[in-house]
Amino acid sequence: MSGYVEGIIILLFINGIAAMGVSLLTGFTGVFTLGHAGYMAIGAYSAAIMTVRYGIHWLPAILAGGIIAMVVAYLIGVPTLRLMGDYYAIASIGLGESIRLILENWQSFTRGARGYPGIDNYTNLPVAVTFFVIMALLMFFLIRSNFGRAFKACRDDYVAASLLGFNTARYRVLSLSISAFYCGVAGALMAGFLTFIQPVMFDLNKSTELTAVVVFGGLGSLSGSLIGTAVITLVTELFRPISQYRMLIYGAVMVIIMVVRPEGIMGQHELSPRFIRSLFNRKDRSPRTAEGGDGR
Amino acid sequence: MSEAVLKLDHVNKYFGGVHAVQDMSFSLEKGELAGLIGPNGAGKTTIFNLITGVYDVDSGSILFCGEDITPYKTYEVIRKGIARTFQNLRLFPRSTVLENVMTACQQHYQYGFFEAATHLGRWKSLEKSIRDQSMALLERVGLDSLAEQAAGTLPYGHQRRLEIARALSLQPRLLLLDEPAAGMNPDEVQELNGLITSIHRDFDLTILVIEHHMELVMEICPHIICMNFGAKIAEGDPDHIQNHPEILKAYLGEEVLEA
Amino acid sequence: MDTLIQQIINGLSLGSVYALIAVGYSLVYSILLFSNFAHGGFLVIGGYICYYTLAAMGHNIWLSGLLAMVGAGVVAILVERLAYKPIRERTNVTLYLLIASMGMSIVIENIFVVTVGGRFRALPPVIPTDPVNFFGLATTSAFDLLSLGMAVLFLTALQLFLSKTKWGLAIRAASYDLRTSGLMGVNVNRLISIVFFVAGLLAAVGGIFLSVRYTLYPQLGFITIKAFVAAVIGGLGSLPGAVLGSLILGLAEMLTAGFISSQMRDLVVFGMLVLTLLWRPSGLLGKQVSEKV
Repeated sequence: MSGYVEGIIILLFINGIAAMGVSLLTGFTGVFTLGHAGYMAIGAYSAAIMTVRYGIHWLPAILAGGIIAMVVAYLIGVPTLRLMGDYYAIASIGLGESIRLILENWQSFTRGARGYPGIDNYTNLPVAVTFFVIMALLMFFLIRSNFGRAFKACRDDYVAASLLGFNTARYRVLSLSISAFYCGVAGALMAGFLTFIQPVMFDLNKSTELTAVVVFGGLGSLSGSLIGTAVITLVTELFRPISQYRMLIYGAVMVIIMVVRPEGIMGQHELSPRFIRSLFNRKDRSPRTAEGGDGR
Repeated sequence: MSEAVLKLDHVNKYFGGVHAVQDMSFSLEKGELAGLIGPNGAGKTTIFNLITGVYDVDSGSILFCGEDITPYKTYEVIRKGIARTFQNLRLFPRSTVLENVMTACQQHYQYGFFEAATHLGRWKSLEKSIRDQSMALLERVGLDSLAEQAAGTLPYGHQRRLEIARALSLQPRLLLLDEPAAGMNPDEVQELNGLITSIHRDFDLTILVIEHHMELVMEICPHIICMNFGAKIAEGDPDHIQNHPEILKAYLGEEVLEA
Repeated sequence: MDTLIQQIINGLSLGSVYALIAVGYSLVYSILLFSNFAHGGFLVIGGYICYYTLAAMGHNIWLSGLLAMVGAGVVAILVERLAYKPIRERTNVTLYLLIASMGMSIVIENIFVVTVGGRFRALPPVIPTDPVNFFGLATTSAFDLLSLGMAVLFLTALQLFLSKTKWGLAIRAASYDLRTSGLMGVNVNRLISIVFFVAGLLAAVGGIFLSVRYTLYPQLGFITIKAFVAAVIGGLGSLPGAVLGSLILGLAEMLTAGFISSQMRDLVVFGMLVLTLLWRPSGLLGKQVSEKV
C-alpha cells in the first residue's frame, strides 16, 4: 500500500488509542475533560527526549511516556477530581493549557515553541497495530468487568454509587490515570510517527477534538469512540485541501449532533452482531434501547 | 440482651440556622422492624443521611453494632453492612435491571484490576457468581423476567422493588427504607407490606422504615419512632403511638384536638 | 513606585474589560447553569462589526460601538435559538449544551477565518491612547482610563437594569430557579433571549477594547478563557463575583507581566484557577450549592 494510505491508517490507530482513553473517562465515568491533549504532549515529549537525548530504545520510551502522563494525571487528579461537572471541565482546560505553556517555556529541555525535531520514525504500521490491538482488548475487557460497572455507577449517579459502597473518588482518579496512560502512549506513538513535535499540536483544539470524537461516537460506547475517530480522522484528511473550512465544518458538526442526536452514533451500545441485527429488525428492537423516563 | 444494631446518641445537625435534627437518640435491637414517622420536613431523611455518612453529624454519635461509625465516609458505612433505598429512587436508568443489581452485588465478589483487564483468573467464575446471585434476588422480588430491560423504562412500582433488590444484594445487616410506599395505591402498599415482612424474616435483617402511609407502619412495625421539627416526640408500639397527643397534634393540628 | 501604580492601573483597566465579558458569561450561567464556551464568539463579532463599520462609515466610534453591541446581541440571540434552545427543550443534561457551545465557538471563530482571513487588524485610532498624567503619581494611557470608565458605566447600567426594571427582576428570579419563575408567569424563552442579548452586548464592548489593546483577529475570543477563570474565581453565577474576580485577575496578570515576566502571565492565570478550584470551588462570592439527597 502507498505510504500515504499507510500513514493515515497509523494515524487512525494512534488517535484511536487516545480516543479510548478519553472515552473511558468521559463516556464511562462521566468526567468531561477538555485538557487531555496535555497528556498526549507529556507522552510525546517524554518519548522524544528519551529516544533522542538519552538514546533509550523506543519501546520502553513509549511505555515510560504513558506512565509519566499517568503519574502527572494522578497527582493533579487527586485534588481536582473533587470538582464536578462544569468545574472540572474548566479546570481541565486550565491544566491542558498549563502543560502546553510549560512545554513552550522550558526551552532548555523541550526546545520550546519551535518544536522538537529529529525523532526516530519508530512508529511503523506493525508497531501501531500491535499497541492498538492490545490496548483495545484491555479496554474492552475492563469495561466488561466489575470496574466497568463501578465507573458507570459513578457516571450515572455518584451519590447512589457511594451508597452502594463505591469509593467514587478513587474510581474517578483511577479512570483519569488510565485515560492519561492511553493518551500518553498515543502521544509517544505520535512523536515516533511525525518525527517532529511542537507544543501547539497538543493545544485546546486537539483536546476538543478528542472529546468531540467520543461524544460524536456515543458516550458510553467504546466502539462508537473508535468509529468517531475513524470518521473525524478520515474527514480531516479528505478536507485537507480546504483545511480552513475543515474546522468550520467540524464545529458545525458538533453543534448539529448535539441538536439532532446527542447520544451520538452508537448511543451507549457497542458494535456487535446483536446490535447490527437490531438495526434490521426494527420491530424486534428491545426496550433496552429506550432512553428511559428520566433521561440522563 | 443482644447488643443494639443501631444506636443514635444525642445527634444534632444544623443546616445554617435550621436545627434539622435535635438531640436525637434511639436504638434498634437486632432483628427489629422499626418505623420512623413524622410530618414532611421533620428530619427523617436527614437521619438516614447522617447514618449513611452523606451528611456529617454536628454533635453526638452513631453506633452500628457497637462500632462508632460517626466519622466514616459513606462507602465505608455501606461496607460495614448498612444499605439504603431512596425516597426519589436512585436507580441507574439506562442500565438493565440485572446490571443495576450486579453493580451492588459485586461488593461481595471482588476481583482485581489485572483480572478485570484481561478476563483471566477469577474473572469468569466470580462474574458468574455475581450474575447468579443477582438473578436469584430478582426472582425473590419477582423481577427476573425483566432482567434485560432498561431500569428507567420500568413501571414505578417495579422500580421500587428493584431498588429494594439492589439494596438486599449488598447483604446488609441493617436496611434503611426511605418511603418505599411513596406514590403507591392501597393494594400496592399491601403487596409491599408482604414483601418487607418476608425479607425481614428470610434475610435476618434489622429494618428501619421511613413512611407516611400509616397502614404500612402501623401494620408491620412493632417499634415506632415519631419525629417533628427535628426532635423525637414519641416512641413506642403502634397502640401507644396512635393515642399519643403530641403526635395527633403534629399531624392534625392543635385545633382538631381541642374540638 | 511609579511602575507599581502604572501596573495597578493597567491591571484594573484590563480587569474591568474582563469584567464586562465575565459578567455576561456569569449571567448566562446563573440562568441556564451551563458554561457558554461560545461567549468569546460574541466578543469577536463585536470587534469585527466595529472595525468594518468604522472603515465604512467614517470614524464615528459611537455609531460603530452601538452597531457592534446590537449586532453581537442579536447574534447571541440567534445562537441561543438555533443551537441551545432545541437542546434544552429536549433534555436537562447540561453536558450537551456545553459541547454545542464549544462547537459554536469553533464555528464563529472559523467563519471569520474563512471570510475575512486570520490576519491581525488594528482598529483605526478612534479611541485615544495618549499618555495621561494620573494625579502626578504615574503616567498612564488615556485608553486605560477610558476602558475603566466605560466598564464602570456599563456595569452600573446593568446593575440598574437588574434592580430597577421588570425584566431585571425576572432575571434575578430566574437565577434562583428558572422553572419556578416560568410558573410564576415569566416568559422563559423571551427571558433567555434578553439575557443572551445583554451578554452579547457586554461582550461586544469588551471586544472593542480588547481589539484596541491586542489588535483584532479571529482567535481573540480565546481570551474569554481568562474571563471564565475570573468568573470562577469570583464565583460562578455571581455577578459581583465576576467583577471582583476579573479585577483580581487583571491585577495579577499585569503585576506578573510587569515584575516577573510576560510569559508567566498565562501560567499565573491558570494557576489561580486551579488554586481557587482546589481551595474554594464555589469561588469568592459564589453560593455553596449542595445537592439534596
